[in-house]
Amino acid sequence: MTTLRLTIERLTPSEDEAPHDEKFELEIDGTISVLQAIRRVHRGVDGTLAFRNCDCRRGVCGLCSMMIDGKRRLACMCVAEDGMRIAPPPNRRVLKDLVFELD
Amino acid sequence: MIDRTIETDVLIVGGGGGGLRAAIAAHDEGARVTVISKGIVGKSGLTQTAVTGFQAAFGIADPRDNADVHFQDSIKGGYGLADPALVRTYTGEAVAAVEDMEEFGCRFDRDENGALFQRKLDSSQTYPRSIKKGDSLGTPIMQALRRQAKIREIEQLHEIYVTKLLVASGRIAGAVAIDFRTGETLSIRAGAVIMATGGAGELFPVNSNTPDSTGDGLMLALDAGAELVDLEFILMLGHAMLHPEAVRGMLFTFQYLLPKGARGPFNNDGEPFLANYDPEGSDNPARHIYARAIFGEVRAGRGTPHGGVWFDPGSVPLEVLQDTLPSQTKYLQSFGLDVSKPFEVGVAAHYMCGGIRIDVNAESTLPGLFAVGECSGGAHGAARVGGNSLTEILVFGKRAGRNAAAAAKGELADFNNGEADAEANRVLSLLDRDTQGRRPSAIKADIQKTMNDYVGVVRNEDGLASAVATFDELAERDLPAMSPATDGRVANYDWIEMLEVSAMTRLANLIASAARMRKESRGAHYREDFPDTNDRDWLRNTRIRQENGAPALVPVAVAADMAGAA
Repeated sequence: MTTLRLTIERLTPSEDEAPHDEKFELEIDGTISVLQAIRRVHRGVDGTLAFRNCDCRRGVCGLCSMMIDGKRRLACMCVAEDGMRIAPPPNRRVLKDLVFELD
Repeated sequence: MIDRTIETDVLIVGGGGGGLRAAIAAHDEGARVTVISKGIVGKSGLTQTAVTGFQAAFGIADPRDNADVHFQDSIKGGYGLADPALVRTYTGEAVAAVEDMEEFGCRFDRDENGALFQRKLDSSQTYPRSIKKGDSLGTPIMQALRRQAKIREIEQLHEIYVTKLLVASGRIAGAVAIDFRTGETLSIRAGAVIMATGGAGELFPVNSNTPDSTGDGLMLALDAGAELVDLEFILMLGHAMLHPEAVRGMLFTFQYLLPKGARGPFNNDGEPFLANYDPEGSDNPARHIYARAIFGEVRAGRGTPHGGVWFDPGSVPLEVLQDTLPSQTKYLQSFGLDVSKPFEVGVAAHYMCGGIRIDVNAESTLPGLFAVGECSGGAHGAARVGGNSLTEILVFGKRAGRNAAAAAKGELADFNNGEADAEANRVLSLLDRDTQGRRPSAIKADIQKTMNDYVGVVRNEDGLASAVATFDELAERDLPAMSPATDGRVANYDWIEMLEVSAMTRLANLIASAARMRKESRGAHYREDFPDTNDRDWLRNTRIRQENGAPALVPVAVAADMAGAA
């Protein structure tokens, strides 16, 4: 088992003036995707984290588009690495945390 | 209270291949069509993940093949339980379904003379019959269907979760739903409804589905008064990646490497084992035999660290691997796997053979309610053969769309706004629960473990009885106290998951109960305490319907093949 530390940008627009970062830790056995890591945070660490429970696992649906270490990536196709920072994509209205308005 | 109201002729619940094919057909009959999905319409569902093939008896690869041989193969592959009328329909219209797709702009692989390339997926096909497109057939099919839906400007609403179907005077009237993004409640008045909601792979901890495959559509239809059929038959495949988690449940269709010289799967002692489990002694048996064989090796203590067996992709040259399974190879490499070394492969839940019972018009037993694809039941019997699922969704999608459009003509059924408001209030009240109860994800994990241990590849009376007891207890003790982590309405997956987990608990109970009642082994249902197939007592479908507020399981003799008798 290894420790995976993630920083996730959070925002509840009805309550917060600006987004803020929160840090989370997971114990993992082998490679997991960023989307799987987010799901694990929601399940086991902080259920108030808003995310989309999508996972086509193929980079097809685009619902897991995020800024991962400053780059626009699909979380289902991206290996989670220790120290990553995850934020919603820019230029999209955030509904809550990692859930943003579609086109 | 209902926040927003929509009116349409044909409401389609589900945005995968079956739903979109139905939408196109209903639109072309002049109906106003609205497609809704838990995910993104046109980019959700399992069609886009289809890799292997699509059966249509063109008779190109072998002129002896025709729709009747395809019919016979499918009846045999369904171990006698498929509804012959449904099988006649999709085998008879398969070629036309492929031609429709080509007209929609989808191109399948062809040989050097321009003829469609057909191959044999496994021993269930008498002749090579499956057409393909590279190794990711679902992608071009979905691209073509999306394009056609866009050209027709079909209304598409994304991330909408249906909580109840409404019925008036014995026919469908519409639905109540939640909009995930806004948390608004919706009432949708419709002349006809087509369920295209897919399967329930998420009942199992390792599955090849997407995590929204929770079987809600089946429970919605049952509650509305429609019949379900043959839920005990869940196809478990033995071609799934087990480790690492990044790729767990992904299908790696290594059987196509076997004819190219790859070493067959082997157990932790390095021994091959498949032929020991196939009644016909084949070392490339029908799909569900793989799962049983791997389960047997693992239970005998010959399994790998993560509960599977080994397959060595390095036993063929890298070029052969990349040529045979290009997108799968690329996918595994993208997660850092070394494809020259053995991987752990094993069992994953893949496909629910049963579902909402339909007739040849794709209509359920509730007038105005239709079903297509994995959520429908009857077309495959006790085990779906590889390559029939795309055939079925395209044939019955078209039929469902046409017939729903016809059913929606004329006046809409009465819509009871009071009933819609009451449903909205029920759903909203879930957010008011004290947040000290168990969260839905914890209950889901219990369901998955129980399904895996007792209702998966190998079943027996004690295990099934204990599973039913577990599901009863979850329903009585855990579900009423289940609560979300937060009470906000916007983008609250816990809220949706509470509804999903309620449906999953009930569906799991029905699957275990049907499996317990069926005291024989057949197709995807294997009872180690009743290992033989018993045609005398069990050439019957298990129908499930609500009677006096509770589901009743009724075995009914399989329909005769009227076309064959005539």
